Amino acid sequence: MAHMEIRFSGSGGQGLLLSARILAAALARQGRHVAQSNAYEPVSRGGLSRSDLVISDGEAAFPLARRVDYLLILDAAAATVSTHLLHQGAVVLADAERVPDPPRGDFRTIALPFTETARGLGNPRVTNIVALGALCTLAAPCPAEALLDALLAMTPARFERLNRDAFAAGLAMAVQEPA
Amino acid sequence: MKDTADATAFDVNDWIRQDQMPHFLCPGCGHGIALRALVWALHEQGIDKDKLAVVSGIGCSGRLSAYIDANTFHTTHGRPLTFATGLKLARPDLTVVVITGDGDCLAIGGNHLIHAARRNLDITCVMLNNEIYGMTGGQVSPTTSGGRYTSTTPMGNSEPTFDACALATAAGAGFVGREVTMQVLALRDLLKQALAHPGFSFVEVLSDCTEIYGRKNDLGASPEMMLAKKSEMRPFAYRNTVDVPFRPNHLRTGVIARNDRPEYGAAYRTMAAGLHGEKGDA
Amino acid sequence: MTATLRNLEGNEACALGAIRAGCRFFAGYPITPSSEVAEVMARELPRVGGTFIQMEDEIASMGAVIGASMGGVKAMTATSGPGFSLKQENLGYACGAEIPCVIVNVMRGGPSTGMPTRPAQGDIMQARWGTHGDHAIIVLAPASVAEAYSETIRAVELSETLRVPVVVLLDEVIGHLTETVDLAAVPEAPEVWRSFATGPREGFQPYAVTDDLIPPMPRPGDGYRAHCTGLTHAPGGFPTQVPEVATAAVTRTTDKLVHHRERIESWQVQDAEDSDLLIVAIGISARAARQAVRDLRAEGLKIGLFRPVTLWPFPEEALRETVARSGAKAVLVPEMNQGQLVLEVERVLAGRAPALRLNRIDGQPITPDDIADRAREALK
Repeated sequence: MAHMEIRFSGSGGQGLLLSARILAAALARQGRHVAQSNAYEPVSRGGLSRSDLVISDGEAAFPLARRVDYLLILDAAAATVSTHLLHQGAVVLADAERVPDPPRGDFRTIALPFTETARGLGNPRVTNIVALGALCTLAAPCPAEALLDALLAMTPARFERLNRDAFAAGLAMAVQEPA
Repeated sequence: MKDTADATAFDVNDWIRQDQMPHFLCPGCGHGIALRALVWALHEQGIDKDKLAVVSGIGCSGRLSAYIDANTFHTTHGRPLTFATGLKLARPDLTVVVITGDGDCLAIGGNHLIHAARRNLDITCVMLNNEIYGMTGGQVSPTTSGGRYTSTTPMGNSEPTFDACALATAAGAGFVGREVTMQVLALRDLLKQALAHPGFSFVEVLSDCTEIYGRKNDLGASPEMMLAKKSEMRPFAYRNTVDVPFRPNHLRTGVIARNDRPEYGAAYRTMAAGLHGEKGDA
Repeated sequence: MTATLRNLEGNEACALGAIRAGCRFFAGYPITPSSEVAEVMARELPRVGGTFIQMEDEIASMGAVIGASMGGVKAMTATSGPGFSLKQENLGYACGAEIPCVIVNVMRGGPSTGMPTRPAQGDIMQARWGTHGDHAIIVLAPASVAEAYSETIRAVELSETLRVPVVVLLDEVIGHLTETVDLAAVPEAPEVWRSFATGPREGFQPYAVTDDLIPPMPRPGDGYRAHCTGLTHAPGGFPTQVPEVATAAVTRTTDKLVHHRERIESWQVQDAEDSDLLIVAIGISARAARQAVRDLRAEGLKIGLFRPVTLWPFPEEALRETVARSGAKAVLVPEMNQGQLVLEVERVLAGRAPALRLNRIDGQPITPDDIADRAREALK
């Protein structure tokens, strides 16, 4: 696997930066190089928020996203802001509930019930973890076990059960989608 | 603290860098008296010159550090307390004394005084108050008395004056005192107490600027200025005795405040001791 | 090998690099986008016997850093443009009195409060000329998280050995960028210290003129009882206004960096052997240029990159040589300001090759495509 770019986008407080950091940690443990950059508006909750991962075998020449391969959108606030970075063959994963009108074009758009699934698990705050699971299945940036290890290492132990379930649900929900 | 009686006889020349004499102070300036009282107090406290750091700012007071035979640092305008804070935290083994002036400490450096007092790091801050920016030619300072003429108050000073000791006390300084240069022995003893106090000590020395301030306001020569200053003072120990109506003076002398709040450096090191050697992220 | 890989943020890397180099004192004041340097120092310094303090303002934190260094402890602070401006007076003191210290400046949009969370490279000149008077200063410009770590180590070492303030100049992108780094790639080396005064106390001159132009520093407690002042001083440490003594005092501090230039200068060259156009860039703009050079070379265009790692003193001889060797007909200077680095490049090249500009001040980083477009246009 050579170069891959993933963008996590949504609104502040959705745990986007954390999901990106968890994936970045899992990748570094696999010996891959990651560059993570974040952007958010100067409010702690709400407002457009995003985190980009540029994954490569060594230090990336340019560490910021240029052509996004996988775009995760968890809130309508982020629905259109990244479309210009999508190329043919790119995949958009949008939350079915909070992004009613995801970008469509010369790329693949998949709407998945991240929020609904998290709510079903009893806590909508794990929406980001559900999405991380789905992303893992579709983009396969690293083995799911490695990502789960990083997830459990970087989140409070008291949420282990919930995070495991959310991650597993995410992994499973994307299986039926053609890779 | 060494017993005064046991201390070797004080000779001011032992503490002064002879190669820096003659000093640059004007005839009649009170700063020389303050300097003598300070080194006398250091001597009587048994302070080791090699372990003494004197940090000063800018102005007439700032120049005094160069005359003391110790580790001396003449820093930037208003900032000696900040340099002293870094120095004392990095080297808790040193005795750190700051010499500053009314402009240095209360105007450009006022914020640092507030926070040094609040933090209560073990520094002795000696503020020489001559009510004027002498070195720059006699401009108004935060302590210039009401109505007085300076080069920037040609119509007389209309600003209220700053009570530095009240400020230091309110901000939490561990030790606060004030004395006039005329009372050399009282000043020496006040400085000794300040040096002995483990925490931030603030001593305001009411000095006189005969050459610029005195002449501009027709206050007479040094003896007249000192006597006038002394008559304005009311020792704190008198408190509310019956002579208040006869000495309705605005400033008190002596020890004005003291408290036993924890010294900042020691408190930090105690908290850090629990972590010391713990494997960090580095 | 992979076991030593970890993800670090640029600001965090500065803090950890400083600690690795022996920095044991940090004084700071919160300011976006550099606050993480202070936060990591607050957490890590007490664990290694060091001291962290958040001072009442930017000025105070610079003063405290100099005070700690005067006490013989390696010291650092971190800030961003407005705070860097506030530090400049005390920074000048450190230049004049030759007190080792490191200042991390993470550049954000300006002037004034500007765009605090957005990147810029507007302090290139402030870093060199921000304080008053003739003075020597070193500025290092990391372009990656790995370099934020290694260059901060080098900053501490240069500052110590040369008795000069060193600025680590990051842009907000590098400061907040997380990258996978291998800290073990920086080889273990003995800790580097300033030279402390030894020998007779009698007649000791704290600013004596030595062969290497770096006077050994008296440490309080070692018995030298020296004087240190921001006034122009004679070798004995006391103020002077004797014209020739004053000239010699200031000249030694600036000559010092010329004398040790080889130790200070650092730069990187990419694909410059045969180039029609040479890009000169620092920080995130240099990362964009790195990618642009790859893209353009793939198109068959002859383009190269010269990246000053030591920004000041500017590696001028190296740039002139690189331009001559590559045969470049022009240089292109992409930078996130209205044109600062380009002024130095023009001075250094003195007409040997025209310096083209590419500037962004919109709070967005310069992209590889920005550079490639401008380069194609220039090579037409």
